[in-house]
Amino acid sequence: MSPMRWTLLVIALIVAGILGVAIGTIDLPLGAVVDALRGVGDPTAIVVVRTLRLPRVMLAILVGAGLGMSGAALQGTMRNPLAEPYLLGVSGGAAVGAVVAYAMGLGAAALPLAAFIGAVAAVLAAFFVAHAAGARGDPRVMLMAGVVVGAFANAVIMLILANAEANTVRNALWWMMGSVSESTWSQVAVLAVYVAIGGAMLIVVGPQMDVLSLGEDAAAGLGLGVDAAIRRVFLIAALIAAATVAAAGLVGFVGLIVPHIMRSAGLRRHRALLVGCALAGGTLVVCADLLGRVVRPPAEVPLGAVTALIGVPFFLMKLRRLA
Amino acid sequence: MAQGHDDFGHALAIDHRPERIVSLNPTTTEMLFALGAGSRLVGRSQYDVFPDSARAVPDVGPAMRPNIEAVLAQHPDLVLLYASDDNRAAYDRLTAAKVPAFAFKIDSIEQFARDTRLIGSLLGDSARAEATVDTIEATLRRVRAMTSALPHPTVFIHAWDKPIIAIGGGSFLSELLDIAGAKNIYGDSPLPSLTVSLEDVVRRNPDFMLASPTAAPKIEASATWRAIPAVHNGHVLVYDTTIVGRPSVQLGAAAYSLARLLHPREVK
Repeated sequence: MSPMRWTLLVIALIVAGILGVAIGTIDLPLGAVVDALRGVGDPTAIVVVRTLRLPRVMLAILVGAGLGMSGAALQGTMRNPLAEPYLLGVSGGAAVGAVVAYAMGLGAAALPLAAFIGAVAAVLAAFFVAHAAGARGDPRVMLMAGVVVGAFANAVIMLILANAEANTVRNALWWMMGSVSESTWSQVAVLAVYVAIGGAMLIVVGPQMDVLSLGEDAAAGLGLGVDAAIRRVFLIAALIAAATVAAAGLVGFVGLIVPHIMRSAGLRRHRALLVGCALAGGTLVVCADLLGRVVRPPAEVPLGAVTALIGVPFFLMKLRRLA
Repeated sequence: MAQGHDDFGHALAIDHRPERIVSLNPTTTEMLFALGAGSRLVGRSQYDVFPDSARAVPDVGPAMRPNIEAVLAQHPDLVLLYASDDNRAAYDRLTAAKVPAFAFKIDSIEQFARDTRLIGSLLGDSARAEATVDTIEATLRRVRAMTSALPHPTVFIHAWDKPIIAIGGGSFLSELLDIAGAKNIYGDSPLPSLTVSLEDVVRRNPDFMLASPTAAPKIEASATWRAIPAVHNGHVLVYDTTIVGRPSVQLGAAAYSLARLLHPREVK
């Protein structure tokens, strides 16, 4: 990818971030937004910009970056264009965690932790299933194991929600639709740690993913410990995705389409692909969140619905090119 | 100075007489009008449509996970929320914005009386709240006196069709039914509402079905519902949605209307 395109990618993220902070239900002139960022001027504007919009945009960037990188790593390693973070059971496991937390009345504070524990447990279960099937590193078996764990998670969710109170059902449903509307600086800080460390680890093993994407036999022929390398990538990618899900619920399609877009933009090597996916994923989620905020004020359209609505046409275009 | 705690457990501390109130809870919005504070409302949720004059108050959107920017745009000096976990984050945000916020969730008659007094003291008009509660309680006592000696038929209170949701003992409706001289077949549940199976309703064999005007004709026409003798025998009672459907200052009138429905000959 040319330096020109890289610059555009960075500018797009910056512009999206600025728009995300500048636009909202309350009309604020740009000058007032800048003042509010500096902590001067109308106290309501300061609260709106610094405690409502800024952490929201930051969280959206991190969620998008995390899902984008996680998806890129999984697609490359599995050599499967349908691979995405949620397919490893992450989403189903996190949803079970969230629903259990709601049903037990644990409250909003316990939710991210419950979702994270659920996601990690599901990923470990998928690993265990794949291991028991005797193919630890086989991507196809891993995918199927993830699908099975996801189906099981779905069954558990239905069991709990079928007889749950209306409050629990509403909360769980809302969570499954994904949102960054209630982000706080502490959430931003936690997710930043996961995305930064996880992203760095993926970038470190980037060259191994390049080798893996040639196929396992070729990779083994080049001297790579294939099983261990695949497991490592899966685990890091799943942890990043679990952290994003804990922070923002289920935000679909980002981990699926962003790597596709970046590969068609000319990114082949995984180190560059990961960085590109982080930038593009962040931009996409900030834009999707902004769109959800402005189309039907004062209500908001769930983030997951917007990302899916944006994602589907992209995917259709991709399909057309494949066919 | 207000005393007590809201339903999130926060102390009711407010250092001014609120003049710009946003109420995102149909029950508290209606209560504010009843307490003479309707003119101080500067925002309500999209669901707050009682009394009719509430519709003239600016609609700031959802009551659950409200749009905080839209609320702050009204420059409120008091925000009343619905006390559900959905609204914890909204509470935190409003508090961070230094806007006093309190959350209420009214399921029972006792909670209604308690929260009316609390909101009265927040408004700086405890006397009016006290008088309102006294009037309701006096009416409820009067209705109970009328029905206490009458036989108490068993009643299934239908709240939703798919899935079948019954009103449980935790709801004011179950209490109203008791005052009106009847027994809720799911009164043994502490929940305000619960999902039940048709077979369980058949097993409990209520003397009457109590349903809304929209649900009642569907129940009467349904072959499955007719498996219940009460439905088969035409014992489907239709309650007046405008006064019975929610806990409001009309609780007394609601009990009276139910009593007349259940005991048409004895209660005039």
